[in-house]
Amino acid sequence: MHANGDGIPAKVLVTKIGLDGHDRGSRVVAAYLRDAGMEVIYTGPWQQIPAVVALTQEEDVDVVGISSLATDHLIVPKLMRALRDAGLAHVRVVVGGIVPDDEVSMLHENGVSKVFHPGSSREEIVAAVQQLAEQARCERPEI
Amino acid sequence: MSAKPKSVQLPLPGFDSALSTWQRDYASQVGEEPVLHNRSGIEIKPLYTPDDWPASRYMEDLGFPGVAPMTRGIYSSMHRGRTWTQRQLIGYGTPQDYNRRLRKLMDAGVTAVSLIPCNSVYRGYDADEVDIELLGTCGAVVNNVDDMQVCLDEIPIDRVSTAMNDPLPFTLLAFVLGVAKRRGIAWTAITGTSNQSDYISHFVANHMFLRLGLPGNRRVLVDEVDFCQQHVPNWNPVSIVGQHMQQAGATPAQAMAFALCTAIQFAEDCLERGMQANEFLPRFTFFFDISLSFFEEIAKFRAGRRIWARIVRERFKADAGRACRFKFHSQTSGADLTRQQPLNNIARVAVQAMAGIFGGTQSLHTDAYDEVLTTPTEEPSRIAINTQNILREEAHLTDVIDPLGGSYYVETLTSQMEAEIEAVVGQIDALGGMYRAVESGAVQRMIGESALAFQERIENGAQKIVGVNAYQVDESAHVSPASQRPAPGTMENYLQSLQAYKSSRSNKQVQAALSELQRACNTVDKNVFEHIVDAAIAGLTHGEICACLRRELEFGQPLVIV
Amino acid sequence: MTDVAAAVDRLIGGDKATLARALTAVENAYPHAAELLEALRPHTGCARVVGVTGPPGVGKSTLCNALIREWRTRGHRVGVIAVDPSSPLSGGAVLGDRVRMHEHDQDDFVFIRSLAARTNGGGLAASTAGAIVVLDAAGMDCVLIETVGSGQSQVDIAGVAKTTVVVSAPGFGDEVQALKAGILEIADVLVVNKADLPHAEQTARQLRIMLGLRDAQRWQPPVVMTSGHTGQGVDQLAEALQEHHDSIVTDTPAATQTHTVADLLRKLASEDPYVRHLGIEFITGGSGHASVRMRVQPSHISFNGTCHGGALFSLADAAFGLASNSHGVVAAGIDAHITYPRAVKVGDVLTAGAVEETRSRRFATYRVIVTRSDGATVATFTGTVATVGGARPGAPQ
Repeated sequence: MHANGDGIPAKVLVTKIGLDGHDRGSRVVAAYLRDAGMEVIYTGPWQQIPAVVALTQEEDVDVVGISSLATDHLIVPKLMRALRDAGLAHVRVVVGGIVPDDEVSMLHENGVSKVFHPGSSREEIVAAVQQLAEQARCERPEI
Repeated sequence: MSAKPKSVQLPLPGFDSALSTWQRDYASQVGEEPVLHNRSGIEIKPLYTPDDWPASRYMEDLGFPGVAPMTRGIYSSMHRGRTWTQRQLIGYGTPQDYNRRLRKLMDAGVTAVSLIPCNSVYRGYDADEVDIELLGTCGAVVNNVDDMQVCLDEIPIDRVSTAMNDPLPFTLLAFVLGVAKRRGIAWTAITGTSNQSDYISHFVANHMFLRLGLPGNRRVLVDEVDFCQQHVPNWNPVSIVGQHMQQAGATPAQAMAFALCTAIQFAEDCLERGMQANEFLPRFTFFFDISLSFFEEIAKFRAGRRIWARIVRERFKADAGRACRFKFHSQTSGADLTRQQPLNNIARVAVQAMAGIFGGTQSLHTDAYDEVLTTPTEEPSRIAINTQNILREEAHLTDVIDPLGGSYYVETLTSQMEAEIEAVVGQIDALGGMYRAVESGAVQRMIGESALAFQERIENGAQKIVGVNAYQVDESAHVSPASQRPAPGTMENYLQSLQAYKSSRSNKQVQAALSELQRACNTVDKNVFEHIVDAAIAGLTHGEICACLRRELEFGQPLVIV
Repeated sequence: MTDVAAAVDRLIGGDKATLARALTAVENAYPHAAELLEALRPHTGCARVVGVTGPPGVGKSTLCNALIREWRTRGHRVGVIAVDPSSPLSGGAVLGDRVRMHEHDQDDFVFIRSLAARTNGGGLAASTAGAIVVLDAAGMDCVLIETVGSGQSQVDIAGVAKTTVVVSAPGFGDEVQALKAGILEIADVLVVNKADLPHAEQTARQLRIMLGLRDAQRWQPPVVMTSGHTGQGVDQLAEALQEHHDSIVTDTPAATQTHTVADLLRKLASEDPYVRHLGIEFITGGSGHASVRMRVQPSHISFNGTCHGGALFSLADAAFGLASNSHGVVAAGIDAHITYPRAVKVGDVLTAGAVEETRSRRFATYRVIVTRSDGATVATFTGTVATVGGARPGAPQ
């Protein structure tokens, strides 16, 4: 069981923004995180960026996972800005799916913590999300 | 004692004793081994013999191509008479970009038009309603009849077949009919397929195409079938997409079963409208995924053909030979391609394509090897088409019809897949049919479980994937091809042209068509699709038509189950 | 060092981030959670807390979504706690209920929080009671709790909800049989959801027959037919919830006459523009007594930063006015006096209870005590009325 140092499960939002509707990857990842002992908020596709910000805040999650298979990663910088504007800079954001190499650095520059490509293993994903959740918990205001 | 004979005719050993000798030898060489299963969960033995499939079953199980039970193919001449249609799904950038690329591909050997629209179109919006960053990155932006006219410039649409990735409510078909009208081409001359008419698969698996709620989709699909039967008789209004189910994680057997159940549902809906099975069933087509599980895929197609022929005759009492034909387009599975050592994907696609050809496909799309890295670029797309050309021209895969027919393994597997598929069909029947089964989430749950189970096999190493969990190399230095994005300013220009289009229309005409469409949505016996065609011709845009339908017939939200 | 007092100020001032973090603190039993709940308690008591339970598959989330929509059209602020099961193996959970309530994601007056049931078998996350306190203090008019929905263990919900809704649907015959033994007993309102399906009426009939076995002295749970999907019947559900809410706040089983007096007083309160303007809510009343409640709003604050004396007077006066008019004849105040022993802040929830002390043919005197939700007395009031007219039309004899 993977819980944070304080024994409390990491809380993760797994979602999709933009226009694409392929969700096999995000469903499998959500199940991985659940099976690793995390609490996962899972949404359908096509979330509006303000809705993702509202969910991130209301659910007080540690990590937001964005799945993108058809270029939706191109609007992730907009999401990053919106999260910062809402005072949620401590929340870690990861992107998974099809992201061309030449656009990975663009995501990192905009504050994305990690980009997972097809073929990433369960272990790799779970360990990275766990670690990022712990970082987020440390930076987050207590109340 | 006696003189040796000059030559001895050794008697052949008996079948049973030879079999047990082999079994003994095999066991001593291999020892304890794990039981193998294919993706559909069928146990795979090391050897198949007439014990598994005796040739005496030939007429019952196979017969001849073009007649029931249809196992060997739906036409008597199959690929020997006419090879499959090489249909590469393309779409990118603006209508001008698309037209340039289409003409290039047709020069390279592509024999039919296909169109992938931009994701904004899939979602039912005009270009000016979405983030500009996303425009034209995955498909062509097509918002109105003018756009379609540019897309099809100099393409003889009265002679080549047109396939549109055009989900309900079929605005792209409406635009094509608008273009035909402008060019003076009779609608009866238009041939092709509404590739993405299977709203059930969109609700369950590929949500990108879902624009309307289930009841609205159910109605407009039957409207389209009805309309085409009367006005565009050579168009295939229905394509049932098992591909989405398999891409979302269904096993090959489940994907086939779900597609058959969907076809049954659509047929029943058409019958309820008073249409004749013998008239609409010949226009039903299917679309499947071809995974790398080579023999399993071949058996899936052969079994599917057999079951559909039986369903048509037994459930729908349709006796027309054409109605029993299980026509399908197939696409090599992108889910089997890897980002690691991407050139390996060329080999994968070749094997997948072979399974499609041996499975008797009518139409084939081969994936570009870079599909898993980015939106497919030009050279990889050309290699993908040439893979088909090589298999046909150099490897001569089309010389013999159903060349694997009679193989003990393939015939046994075909029958086993058939039983597996029938079992799933029975489950869906028990749930009250496909519509009810997806409404309740039962199908979504089955797919989710299968997806997770397959992923588990990769994670624990039972399923090896070269470059992913086996034979890895250090790829840190490797960089994938540069992503292709519309040039800066392209989409700004497109938005301006869309604005110009909107302001050049006759407001009166547009308003009248819109209120007619609205009225049709709210009048039970009106054909909504007929009014969509009218609206498209009157100048309404894709986004405007979709907005009206969303408003009047409810927005589509998938039922997502983890 | 966590500054609980500052957090409380932010929370009752409507800061969503603080609300979210306070819920996390309660959910995870952080060290400062107990202190926080204690500090929030004075601000609670206004929210009506509705629990929704029923077997999996009856459409609870979709129904909740429709109910939120209905409450929003009635102008209520809504807090939602959606409880999902945790995996017994990993302890993890996929929290998916809010997916069906996504249309409210961007509504500033709806706050939805998913809770994993964790090790608590009852289907109600252990921290639900605390979460209700937090949402109540944050100014939610309605707090909706959607449970995991698995059989008998759902009885827990009755312990924390003021109104318990048990949801069923056609085709849940076996489950309904199971309900009979347990959760039917706790139902204040019964819902047959998916009423657009065949056999809905039959299911409703079944439920009514089972209800017939219940003690008829108490509140009779209505059976409401709804479709969460189309929204059909959801307004009736909201009405039924309102009726149950009214019945619990005026539940004095002694005499039917008191009950009708309470009806009169509720009517008077609801027709009083000034009372409505201040956000004063009628709670209960009978012959010679009445109580009302108010949450202190920013608009009630004086330049000193505490609740304006006039607002407190108005609250006490409202209770005084209702109690003195409870006899069916028109009475008007002629003298009143108030003392304010303690300052009151924004977000505090105050209850004023008026009791008759003397009554003659012409005059009557009343004492009103105003208390905060934690029990502290914040004002005492005395007043005198004169009878100025005859019988009030429509008043009980």
